[in-house]
Amino acid sequence: MNKKTILAIIALIAGIAIIVIGSKDVSTYKNFSDCVEGQSVTVSGFLDLNKDINYDPENSPNVFDFYMNDKNGTTKKVIVKQPKPQDFERTESIVVTGKMEGDVFLASEMLLKCPSKYKEDEIRIRAEI
Amino acid sequence: MTPDIQYIGETLWPGKLAHLCVILSFVAALFSAFAYRKQVKTKIEDYSWRRLGRAGYIIHGIATITLIGLLFYMMGSLMYEYAYVYNHVNDELPKQYILSAFWEGQEGSFLLWMFWHIILGFILIKTAGKFESATMIFMALIQTVLASMLLGLHIEVGDFIYKIGSNPTLLLRDTFAAPIFQTADYLKLLEGTGLNPLLQNYWMTIHPPTLFLGFASVTVPFAFAAGAYYSKEYVDWLKPALKWSLFSAGILGLGILMGGAWAYEALTFGGYWAWDPVENMSLVPWIILVAGVHTNLVARNMRRAINSTFIYYALAFVLVLYSTYLTRSGILGDTSVHSFTEMGLEPQLIAMVALFLLIPLVILIKNYKHVPSIKKEESIYSREFWMFVGALILLFSGVIITGSTSLPVFNSIMAQFDPTFEGSVIEDPIPHYNKFQIWVAILISIMTAKTIHLFYKKEKMTSKQTRNFAIKQLIYFGIAAALTYLTSLWIDYYEWRYTLLTLCCYYTIVANFALLFSNLKANGKTLAAVLGHAGFGLMIIGTVASGLNEETITSSPFVMRGLIPQSELGESVRLIKESPFYVNDYWLTYEGDSTNGYTRNFKVKFQKKDTVNDKSYKPFYLEPNILYNLELTKVAAFNPDTKHYIDKDIFTSVRGLPGAQLDVENAKALEDSLDYVIKVLNVGDTIKTRSGYGVLKSVSFNPESKDFLAGGNDLGLSAIVEFKSFRDKEYTERAETILGLKDNLLFQYPYLVNDLNTKIKLDESTFDNFFTQENELKYTEVKIKTGQAFDFGGKTFRLTGFSDNFDNKNYKAEPEDIAIKAQLSYDTTEGPLEPIFVIRGKRPFNIKDYDVKEGIHVRLSYINPENDEFTFLIAKDDRIDPTVNLMVAEGAPRDDIIVLQAKIFPGINLFWSGSLMMLLGFFIAFLSNRNKVNA
Repeated sequence: MNKKTILAIIALIAGIAIIVIGSKDVSTYKNFSDCVEGQSVTVSGFLDLNKDINYDPENSPNVFDFYMNDKNGTTKKVIVKQPKPQDFERTESIVVTGKMEGDVFLASEMLLKCPSKYKEDEIRIRAEI
Repeated sequence: MTPDIQYIGETLWPGKLAHLCVILSFVAALFSAFAYRKQVKTKIEDYSWRRLGRAGYIIHGIATITLIGLLFYMMGSLMYEYAYVYNHVNDELPKQYILSAFWEGQEGSFLLWMFWHIILGFILIKTAGKFESATMIFMALIQTVLASMLLGLHIEVGDFIYKIGSNPTLLLRDTFAAPIFQTADYLKLLEGTGLNPLLQNYWMTIHPPTLFLGFASVTVPFAFAAGAYYSKEYVDWLKPALKWSLFSAGILGLGILMGGAWAYEALTFGGYWAWDPVENMSLVPWIILVAGVHTNLVARNMRRAINSTFIYYALAFVLVLYSTYLTRSGILGDTSVHSFTEMGLEPQLIAMVALFLLIPLVILIKNYKHVPSIKKEESIYSREFWMFVGALILLFSGVIITGSTSLPVFNSIMAQFDPTFEGSVIEDPIPHYNKFQIWVAILISIMTAKTIHLFYKKEKMTSKQTRNFAIKQLIYFGIAAALTYLTSLWIDYYEWRYTLLTLCCYYTIVANFALLFSNLKANGKTLAAVLGHAGFGLMIIGTVASGLNEETITSSPFVMRGLIPQSELGESVRLIKESPFYVNDYWLTYEGDSTNGYTRNFKVKFQKKDTVNDKSYKPFYLEPNILYNLELTKVAAFNPDTKHYIDKDIFTSVRGLPGAQLDVENAKALEDSLDYVIKVLNVGDTIKTRSGYGVLKSVSFNPESKDFLAGGNDLGLSAIVEFKSFRDKEYTERAETILGLKDNLLFQYPYLVNDLNTKIKLDESTFDNFFTQENELKYTEVKIKTGQAFDFGGKTFRLTGFSDNFDNKNYKAEPEDIAIKAQLSYDTTEGPLEPIFVIRGKRPFNIKDYDVKEGIHVRLSYINPENDEFTFLIAKDDRIDPTVNLMVAEGAPRDDIIVLQAKIFPGINLFWSGSLMMLLGFFIAFLSNRNKVNA
């Protein structure tokens, strides 16, 4: 067996090992209704603007909560352990990773997507002429 | 839309000319590629096709650069009639950010990329010699594809409309349907949207051009490889390709590093690398390119691994295109913080990647058998064998990163076949990537440490040579072990894998420098290799130090550790203005803030205190800031501030502010939610709250604050309340709340007593208790001569004289005016009343004077020139019930707090200096190779 074949076999074995190990780091996108309590999942959805966003920097600077609609339209309260990001209200869609606990989703990670953050949907008019 | 409207003020020629340039740029590039291809195919001593190819490329270059120039001109002149200008600049944008605004947009960044290809193409025309035609086919071809991204054609196929390119020269009224375009002079009403404030810094000026030069330069080694194979020249391309790939690896590396530095210095990501898909996909082409550099070295010296070099260079180039697809198609959406707007170019981007995947594949399949190769295998004692293995490890690393990063692409493909497919996502990216790349780094370190001491073509080693080699390596390893131990006194490795990683990195640093000092024949190339390898080692040690030992100063107090899991610990603390807060050996004090333009700086004092030895360190200040949007109504960005030490950085950023300070709308909502109770007070009365009480000390008619400045006919009234707390006997706060009449509108200026969570403001009815409106005043007419007096409202008023000083906030003297200012003296602390009588252009009028404290209004309405008699009108405010109607709300949230995060990054300078050393290695290698080619 020549050296290149040996290298190829090593690479193949390493590759398979990596896929096996790496696939454990993956979680699937779920809706709130599919969440099993205590299991870590990723939910993608939208901020519910009709409900309150609570952040009290004076007493608990490291936590805020909001309501989120998943893609099936189910609404759940989400608690995030971090200060509320600026401009959060204008977020278009939210991806949270975490666990369902009771009726509340505890998010360990949150990603905001605001494609039109600085592109306004109306023509900007001069304040004064 | 409304073609019959004759618009006013539009400048249409630059747009038309620019559009012509777009088309010309595309056509000329296509023609150039075609002509150069013809030249390669002709194979005779007739260079007419090459001349045409050159002409085509030069025309393409001129057209594209003219297009860029026109866009700049349009942006610089604020021609909002153009969508691209409207979307990226506005009146307030400082001129130095025009460049940033230009490449903020996708079209602009394509143009930046094309610009570098043009420059590199021109250099190739001049220097590539016999490879000119062959390489330029591919340069012109990629330019054709990139230029097509600007065409802006819409092709209908059945029900689908395919968009080919996005045209940057479109008029706003053609891209946007809005009623405003019914107005012929709509331009006067328009204001651009401007540049995202996050991007208004020098990083945005220097990072994109460097990165895109890096991307563009990756094309050149590929063009050499593909061109050489296409023209059946399998060997001679290796020298110039190496030179270019060294240059490219240096520049692309610098561009990526700048991105990291930007993230670290100016954004609140809290680090320089986060394995974000956009970061990954700029790193992978670099890794593959570096693999190519190493096989290219082997190929140039040994005539081995030529096909491998071809594959690496082609792969690096395709990966650049693939990264363009990932970042610009919007497919990353849910996984990347870098948000890019979709342009609807997905099919075109996919076609671009497919095309440039196919071309080298076909060329390789057709040619690989003709490439000279050595049948005999490399010996494991030879340098080339291990360089080849090292390149494979790099390839492997790139494949792993690309695979994980491409998960969204996989999801999207699966969803095409099965709409119910549940997409998957990497839960915690940083540990996921680190887990594998740590082994890549370990292997690469070992490879570079020992391979550099091997020789090319070495078939066998004598036992003595083997022993010498082994002893040397053992010594290096021993020194590395000692250094690893010494470093452990300073930083923690936490687990054996990081200890091993650090050990291997020291090993390569020691082994490489040992070569430099033991080898008397060391030249520029040796130095380059040593710096490159040792720099890599140093960089990784820096990553271990700063990443693994990153410490959050502002995490919950020490006593909480162990009681709650690490992930539950908050990373930020709340600081109250002027109240020092002790956390993890530091006293933090938020001392105050200052506003400068759109920026608000928060001054935070850091004082380290060693509790064990009771030693205080010298305090230092950091000023993280926030950036408001252009209307100053909302916070647009939080910017960190960093204190740099040799061995560590202390990084801090504001993570949160009271809601009312973030956004004007929040502030309104908060104000509306407060439960105000009206208290009717006289001076001396007391109001009680849950946590304290306040006494109305006085009422002022001359209130002054930064928010309220009286001018013209403005009136101000303020109540001064002294608050005391039940809890803290020492505490007293003087609260002044103002009610102001500005331009006939009443404004309330509330005062928030933070320590009592109490907010006060004056009810508008208070105003009428003190002041009577002009139209409700009942004036009395009095006629007197100079020196005479009259009685009014219990006071005696005497006309004591006249003043030449016409300084009055309600009167601006004009040259033709005839004006008289009378002085009415009476018993008051406010000085005499001075009404003015003016004749301007034969028309008389008068300016009133008003004693707010006494509530007396006086006008000089007529002067009789015959008997020197002055007619005054005098009136008094109706102050029957001068009580203060104070509105008091309890439970108001404080507004003098910030939520602060502070972190220590130890050894981050090792990361920066290691990275720079590695890149310096590439540049030295580039220069050493360049000299040789020229000579």
